[in-house]
Amino acid sequence: MKKTKLGEFEELVLLTVAALQEDAYGVEIKNELEKRLKEKLSVGSIQSALKRMEEKGFLTSEFGEATQKRGGKRKRIYTATPYAHRVLADLKDIRAQLWTSIPKLAHALKAI
Amino acid sequence: MTRPNDIVPPKWSLRILRFFVKKEYLEEIEGDMEELFHDQVAQGSLSKARRVYTWEILKLMRPILIKNLSFVQNLYRYPMFNNYFKVSLRGLMKNPLNSFINLFGLAAAIGFCVFAYGFSRWAHSRDQFHKNKNEVFLVTFSTNRDGSLQQYGTTPRPLGEMLRQDFAHIKKVCRVEDREAVVKYEDLVFNQRIRFVDPEFLDLFTFPLKWGSARSLADVNSVILSGKMSIKYFGDQNPLGQTILIKFDKDRSKAFKVTGVAEAFPLSRSIDFSFLINYENFRTADPAYDFHDWTKFVNATLIQVDSTTDLQSLKRGMEKYKRIQHSAAKEDWAIASFNFEPLATLHERTDDIRDDIARGGTQDNYTSVVFLVVICVLLLALACFNYINIAVVSAAKRLKEIGVRKSIGATQRVVIVQFLTENIVITSFALVLGVIIGWFVVIPWFENLWDFSMGFTLNDAKLWIYLPAILLFTGIASGIYPAFYISRFQAVSILKGSVKFGQKNPLTQILLGIQLVLSSFFITSAIMFTQNTSYLAQRSWGYGQHDALYAVVPDRQSYEQLHDVMMREPNIVRLSGSRHHLGKSSVTTVIHFPEREYEVDQLSVDPGYFETMGLELQEGRKFNDHERSDQHAIIVNEFLVKNLAWENPIGKTFKIDSLSFEVIGVVKDFHYASFSEPIKPTIFRVADREDYRFLTMKIKEGSKLEAFQSLQAKWSKLFPEVPFDGGYQEDVWGGYFEEIEIYGHVWRVFATLAVILATLGLYGLVTLNVSGRTKEFSIRKVLGARLKNIAANVTRQYLALFLVALLIGTPLSYIFAKVIIEFAYKYHMPITLWQAVMASIMLIILLLATVSTQIIKVSKANPVNGLKTE
Repeated sequence: MKKTKLGEFEELVLLTVAALQEDAYGVEIKNELEKRLKEKLSVGSIQSALKRMEEKGFLTSEFGEATQKRGGKRKRIYTATPYAHRVLADLKDIRAQLWTSIPKLAHALKAI
Repeated sequence: MTRPNDIVPPKWSLRILRFFVKKEYLEEIEGDMEELFHDQVAQGSLSKARRVYTWEILKLMRPILIKNLSFVQNLYRYPMFNNYFKVSLRGLMKNPLNSFINLFGLAAAIGFCVFAYGFSRWAHSRDQFHKNKNEVFLVTFSTNRDGSLQQYGTTPRPLGEMLRQDFAHIKKVCRVEDREAVVKYEDLVFNQRIRFVDPEFLDLFTFPLKWGSARSLADVNSVILSGKMSIKYFGDQNPLGQTILIKFDKDRSKAFKVTGVAEAFPLSRSIDFSFLINYENFRTADPAYDFHDWTKFVNATLIQVDSTTDLQSLKRGMEKYKRIQHSAAKEDWAIASFNFEPLATLHERTDDIRDDIARGGTQDNYTSVVFLVVICVLLLALACFNYINIAVVSAAKRLKEIGVRKSIGATQRVVIVQFLTENIVITSFALVLGVIIGWFVVIPWFENLWDFSMGFTLNDAKLWIYLPAILLFTGIASGIYPAFYISRFQAVSILKGSVKFGQKNPLTQILLGIQLVLSSFFITSAIMFTQNTSYLAQRSWGYGQHDALYAVVPDRQSYEQLHDVMMREPNIVRLSGSRHHLGKSSVTTVIHFPEREYEVDQLSVDPGYFETMGLELQEGRKFNDHERSDQHAIIVNEFLVKNLAWENPIGKTFKIDSLSFEVIGVVKDFHYASFSEPIKPTIFRVADREDYRFLTMKIKEGSKLEAFQSLQAKWSKLFPEVPFDGGYQEDVWGGYFEEIEIYGHVWRVFATLAVILATLGLYGLVTLNVSGRTKEFSIRKVLGARLKNIAANVTRQYLALFLVALLIGTPLSYIFAKVIIEFAYKYHMPITLWQAVMASIMLIILLLATVSTQIIKVSKANPVNGLKTE
């Protein structure tokens, strides 16, 4: 597998974007991820992960609607690219394979 | 009431956000932030929401989100800085001589700066270790002395006890009184100073104890020792529980149990102790001591208050004591007002307060700090000048590099940054070296000279602000001119080779000139201080200090015993008894005239004292040598006569304590304690035989040592239990002559350093100059130039400069050195222009020697090699 340069936190953010579909904008991503991780995240960390992944080609984005609550500023809706989906699937496979090999390894170690 | 339009994020945080975040991300992020802010407001308080908002914005400061500001852009030039670093290291390696001159000069100057910092910190940390320094006050009073108020650090005896009873907001009171006594432990017997104090002493002065407890002072049978005394009497052993004997006088002594030992005292302090015992011990030490006598004074009364705001009401409350004191005390000592001096600043004020328990010298130290700072700035300037001169003159060697850099796109700004970076790199090396020099050379040297320790440590936060500040200042001060100068040239003309520069820069000449003037000043001062030391060693004290011995006796009986024994000594010519003694003790008295009063020093002596001590009479007569005569006669010194402008002093009368006295003679002026103390108006009275405390002896010429040895031998035979206290009269000034020798020493070091810096700079300049003209000199030699032609050629460009510099420098050095020596000494040798001229001559010889090293090099070089260069 070639280098995807996807960090652990980036991967989480990317998965959240993929899960949220049309709702995937800054605040919503943050809230969703906070709920799942059960910890506080800063806007800065989410935003920098998003921008980095956009540069690497995992995400595309476009402006969405503006609301009163946002002081009239538009949201930016993120979408995962097909390339991102492929990389995510690859990562999942690799993980799954590793998991399946754990009991064998443990057994082999015991034998020594 | 919060109005809806108040619910907005904090404005200034928003401004930060807008300033830093990239434009293309701003709308989205600002929107997100505002949405989150309102979510937060909906959940809880507005203030929390604002706090969270600001915090989140600070956390948004990430490289990927913020704009490429100019300074951030500079970071991309990191490889360039890397290159500058490499180039400057290569430059250092390529010119080891110049690098040495620059590095050594800067490092030496920085070494002195480090020392100046350490000294200043030491001077300012005095007494600051006491935890209650702001709540503890010394009670002082003022009294009228000849029309002006004089502040005293002593207090009437009963005051302390009354303060304790009368004022609720005085937390603690402590009286302090000192007595000399003999302290004995097994066979160790020494004269010591005993401090009688109230048990609160160690609460007010928070000296930590190594062993024992501070509370134990409440017991009248306990004694607390200083760390030094503990070592003196008990070595490294823990002395708690041991018993020492304190002999207050011949008949009264008392055994004390050691209940505490203090840690080594902090280095910078104005108050400490050797032995502490409870104040109540006066009942045993001195039964005549009246605790309630308003006419007597105690050395110090200290109070601790809860809050300093109480002081005003306290001051008002003190009024009633004035009335009590006025009705009891003598008129001379009528108290005009009471004052409270905070412990934190007492050490600064102590030079203005008489008889207080704090040691003085803080003002002197502050003066020394100012002086040191000036010296350090001058030394730094000398070193920076060297750097600038060498950089400017050697710029020619870097022309190609600058040309290439410029032609591939470096702007003048970039070149300046490059040169400053190089400079900071070099200065950093110098800084490291300088700290090492300061720490291991300058500070130990100075501590050794003055025999003290300033406790310098690198573990000091302020030092780490100070050092980078020096680095930046020196780096920029020395680098800014060369940087601008070199970067100014056009790339094209550099590469064409049509630029000629560096050799005759006017600034180089001016800086060299200033260096010479400074060196001349330092040399002049060194000469003056050195000469003055030997001058003062020769100067008369106004009496025969070389042929006199003295011994301190405890009472009249011992005086008579010693007197009778020493009278039979063949080496002793005359003996005298006195209550006070020149250079050792005197008392301050007020003399009253009908129209004014006047404060004088008073010495009570026997009639033969003048002859024994070699004091010369100017006019009138000495005291008559029969019992009970001249009880109301006074002999005054010249200075008093001059000060009171008496035409005819003999027969003048005045009163002391309502007794009338008449002047019968005038003695020539003499120096009492050292040449740095001004001569004071002094009177002599006949001493009561009962009060004799000094035996003075005039010795036969040339038998000083024998006389002294026999005095010591007789003493230990007569009084085996009492330590001998006495010696040569010429030693009573203590370390005065050693001290003024130190001044000379310090100036010689400064002068040497200044001269080394200046000559090194000149050497560097001449070397560069000559090496840049190798071809020219070779051609001259081939065409038949002799040594003298070449010498004339090299010297010519400097000679005018030398002459101008010294013509300005000599009178300036004379003026400034004179100011300094007048400041340092009350009485000094006559100052003439001669010292300054001598300094200039020395400097010229040095300069010519420096230049001639290069001339010799040129004349010895083979012209063929020279022609092959370039």
